Amino acid sequence: MAENKAKKILLSIKTEIGAPCQMLDDIQNESVLEIQKDHLREIVEFLLHNHQPIHLTTITADSMESDPNQIHIFYNFWKGEGFTLLTKLNQNDLELNSILDLIPGVDFYEREVAEMYGIHFANRENTPSLLLPDDWDQKPPMRSQVKE
Amino acid sequence: MEKITIPIGPQHPLLKEPLSLRINVSGEQVLGGDLRLGYVHRGIEKLAQTRNYVQNVHLVERICGICSHVHTTAYCHSVERLLGIEIPERAQFIRALLCELERIHSHLLWVGILAKHIGLDTIFMHTWHDREMVLDMMEELSGGRVSHAVNKIGGVRFDLDEKHGPMITKTIQKLHNEVEKLLDIITHEPTIKARTRGVAAITAEEIRQYGVVGPVARASGVDMDMRRDDPLPPYDRLDFSVITQTSGDAWARTVVRVEEVQESINLCEQILKKIPGGATETRARSRVPAGQVTTRAEAPRGELFYYLRSDGTDKPARLKIRTPTLPVLSILTKQLADIQVADIPVVLAGVDLCIACADR
Repeated sequence: MAENKAKKILLSIKTEIGAPCQMLDDIQNESVLEIQKDHLREIVEFLLHNHQPIHLTTITADSMESDPNQIHIFYNFWKGEGFTLLTKLNQNDLELNSILDLIPGVDFYEREVAEMYGIHFANRENTPSLLLPDDWDQKPPMRSQVKE
Repeated sequence: MEKITIPIGPQHPLLKEPLSLRINVSGEQVLGGDLRLGYVHRGIEKLAQTRNYVQNVHLVERICGICSHVHTTAYCHSVERLLGIEIPERAQFIRALLCELERIHSHLLWVGILAKHIGLDTIFMHTWHDREMVLDMMEELSGGRVSHAVNKIGGVRFDLDEKHGPMITKTIQKLHNEVEKLLDIITHEPTIKARTRGVAAITAEEIRQYGVVGPVARASGVDMDMRRDDPLPPYDRLDFSVITQTSGDAWARTVVRVEEVQESINLCEQILKKIPGGATETRARSRVPAGQVTTRAEAPRGELFYYLRSDGTDKPARLKIRTPTLPVLSILTKQLADIQVADIPVVLAGVDLCIACADR
């Protein structure tokens, strides 16, 4: 199980921002905080202002068989130990606010999630194809296991 | 002066792997650029969902031809965490030995490429000669120069025998002397300084903003190394220093890598001294209990991240891999702004790109 440091950071989000969120133990060795997608930017801004230096390792998308109507988006952070913000998107509303202006390094991660899972990132210019061919016209390849 | 866009790649003599760069120039001044990946995208993450856990060891090994062993190390460790097993200590030390040999040959390869790009073919030849010693050693140990197939879920596939220890000790001692000479040349040779000092410098703040990892981050003073910060065993029982510089330029990145080679040589010596006896593998079930786990390992180019989710079957439900080149690439276009055309190869070589890793 993750140690106290990451949990304290996630608990500070809960207490300071007051947004609806819950601690999960989904990932064996990391603390996970599930948040509403509308609060993502506010929470990332809070982390950047209060917990620097902080490192965003990547964004991981996953469509779970146990939760076929949603795509789980994990923001995997590192600050001495790993911790994760999780937000769940409904299949009929696959839009998420971009955090590119807050963390410039997120560009490729958002673009990859966009093309592999069909997520639309709002508040950024566009997400041009990063890995798939420009003329790719089939469904996002990593979403195939989701019942549509 | 008129702005011109120069396409470089996806196939270009400058590039060792396919990458499409579009660089905007005005005369000799570079204004900026954009890049496009995907030319060696093999869909590894998708393929992993169709293969069982054992087959995937061989799949992830083929992500990269330079750091193949650290990929299987991170993957096997993730599976072993979900299985709730700890591999024998001897196997942990053998894994670490191969990780350090891999780091040495990766860094030497890079120094050679940089030297070639700045017109120092003699250094290129010397470093690649030294790297060859490491590859020979890895072949002797595992039977493979590129894909070593050392790791298996639950341990390692081979054991060190009585002739391996003296062979490695003798070779790394020779390597140690060569690397000392190399460091002396790099720190004193005026041409290297002239071509790398102040070129494509990145500040620590930019490193953090772009999430850059590995030797590039450490060259800018960002003290981050997963061998120390989130150690896979047996790194928690080994003594080593995390090498950093502060200037963040191509010169600092060179010095960091050469000093890291020295540190890896020290680690190899320690591993040979401390390696315990005993078994090299433990039994692992083919069906992995449902769960999610993350693993961070220090690849030669920096933090390597694996996310693995099992649904209780013999195949992963999701395997996500973030290789260290991806965040480094994200800052590349920024680095290309405000430099001279002649410095483009130094910038490209300076960050040690692995496109096969980034594309997966």
